[in-house]
Amino acid sequence: MSDATVFIVDDDQAVARSLRWLIETVRLKVETFASAQAFLDGYDASKPGCLVLDVRMPGMSGLELQERLAARRAYHVPIIFITGHGDVQMAVRAVQAGAYDFVEKPFNDQDLLDRIQRAIVFDAEQRGKEVQRAQLRALFASLTPREREVLDRVVEGLSNKAIANTLGLSAKTVEVHRAKVMEKMQARSLSDLVKMAMQNSSVTS
Amino acid sequence: MESEIMLLGLVALGGGLTVALIGLAYLLLRLREAETRLHEKEDQHQGILDRLQENEYRLRTIIESEPECVKLQAADGTVLEINPAGLRLVDAGRPEDIIGRKIYEVVAPEYQAIYRENMRRVFAGESVVYEFRSTTLKGRTCWMETHAVPLRDARGEVYALLGITRDTTEHKWAEEQGRRHQTELARVARLSTMGEMATGLAHELNQPLAAIANFARGCIRRLRTGEVVPAELIEPLEEVCEQAERAGEIMRHVRDFVRKSEPRMTAVDINQVVRSVVKFTEHETRQHETVVTLQLAPQQPRVWADSIMIEQVVCNLVRNAVEAMAETRSQRREILIRTVPHDGDIVEIEVVDTGPGIDETVIDNVFDQFFTTKTEGVGMGLSISRSIVESHGGSIRAESRAGGATFRFTLQAIPVKLSRDERRYSLHS
Repeated sequence: MSDATVFIVDDDQAVARSLRWLIETVRLKVETFASAQAFLDGYDASKPGCLVLDVRMPGMSGLELQERLAARRAYHVPIIFITGHGDVQMAVRAVQAGAYDFVEKPFNDQDLLDRIQRAIVFDAEQRGKEVQRAQLRALFASLTPREREVLDRVVEGLSNKAIANTLGLSAKTVEVHRAKVMEKMQARSLSDLVKMAMQNSSVTS
Repeated sequence: MESEIMLLGLVALGGGLTVALIGLAYLLLRLREAETRLHEKEDQHQGILDRLQENEYRLRTIIESEPECVKLQAADGTVLEINPAGLRLVDAGRPEDIIGRKIYEVVAPEYQAIYRENMRRVFAGESVVYEFRSTTLKGRTCWMETHAVPLRDARGEVYALLGITRDTTEHKWAEEQGRRHQTELARVARLSTMGEMATGLAHELNQPLAAIANFARGCIRRLRTGEVVPAELIEPLEEVCEQAERAGEIMRHVRDFVRKSEPRMTAVDINQVVRSVVKFTEHETRQHETVVTLQLAPQQPRVWADSIMIEQVVCNLVRNAVEAMAETRSQRREILIRTVPHDGDIVEIEVVDTGPGIDETVIDNVFDQFFTTKTEGVGMGLSISRSIVESHGGSIRAESRAGGATFRFTLQAIPVKLSRDERRYSLHS
């Protein structure tokens, strides 16, 4: 977790500096940006961590930055919005749009640090899942079209005989394909295979 | 002979008599003529008298039926004559209730001096119009306006004041209502400005307070774990002090802004005013995601002005621009504030926005009181701004162009020499 970075985007430089000073007490790396545009230009998506974002800024607002990140259709760090007093509506909009969390100014230091830690854990989990999903996608990609057809029917719960009938193959051939699929997918059991197939379809759909 | 003499005598006597008779007749005739002429004169005189009487009667009828109070007063204020309308005006039942008495009895105490002064002027030959508050014979309070002229006798001496007096109570009341209404609106406008300011203030103070809390907490956490050398704490603690000063600055500004005081004229650096307004409206511009750009001409001459008032003008213009752009959801939200250099003795300030501009049909009305295009506007901001600018001897105007509106106002610059003196003064003070 020590390699996580807290990205801070706040046009008020004094506030940004003070956040850095506070967050560095929990041994996290901090990068500050003076505007949403500066963040978009300089952010390295491969770095794990979280983004602490002031909801209101001149030029591009925090909400707009969130939209821009979403539009990239790639994974980005979870966002914690910092809102002013009475900005509840904005906070709700932000969370609906996929923000991880928000804190209202003035905030308690421990509260903010806790939320940052949770966001970083969440980010690590997401990145882990992302890796698993990528692996799964790679496994599926290794199957031949025929093997895919067999897999789809296995997942539907058809017997080898039924699969052979629908695909116009011999039961023996289906059995061979099925063993190959289990091997390629590194599935230990039929239920394992079904789970993987479901995960994959949820990712691709 | 004797008889002849007698005869002659008789004849002579007869002749003499005849002559005497003729003479007498002549005299009588003349006398009659004179009498006739006298009668004619008398008739003529009677005619004149009749006409005079008729005239007087007519005048009196006019005066009596005149709906306004008509009265004659002597130099000491004694009421000589007054018409029925006048009697009603002062609540007198009969003429003797007021005639012969002093007019001052129905003039309110605070207007006695003014009334006397106007009386003096009329008797010195002037025609005057004056207004005063009156307490009638029945103690009713009302407002009156008198048009007074001197009345002169045959030798040209002023012997009375002829006054026509009107009850202006209702008019005065309407005027008073209007003024009260206006004061109330100004108060509402002020309150709403203050309300907005309070919200802005809360947000604005949150920034330095948040920074202070973060810096201080960071220090405490490091001290608790003992992983810090004291010298490392100097910088963050200095930041704490700076942010506290920043908060103090905001407070000072609000106090200056709210304080109700007479204009305090000083030599003002207009660029400084602009910078301070930008700082002060930062919350609102941030909130509406508006970018504010400054183009301040260096070496501007100073202006003789109440800086708080001028700040209010710039503040109103910035706020209007922000709201205009927010309400129409303009894509680009930018405000450019320029101070434009002029050769002469004028300093010009421009506030340019990228909002929807101003409709041509209303552009001449934007400075009118109660004119507003905003859903919750009172229509005071620009009107107040104009009166402030004009009271400083400047002018303000609005322009609409493709892609926004421009407001610019001018102020009188101080001749450079005085400006230097002022600078020297402010250095020493």
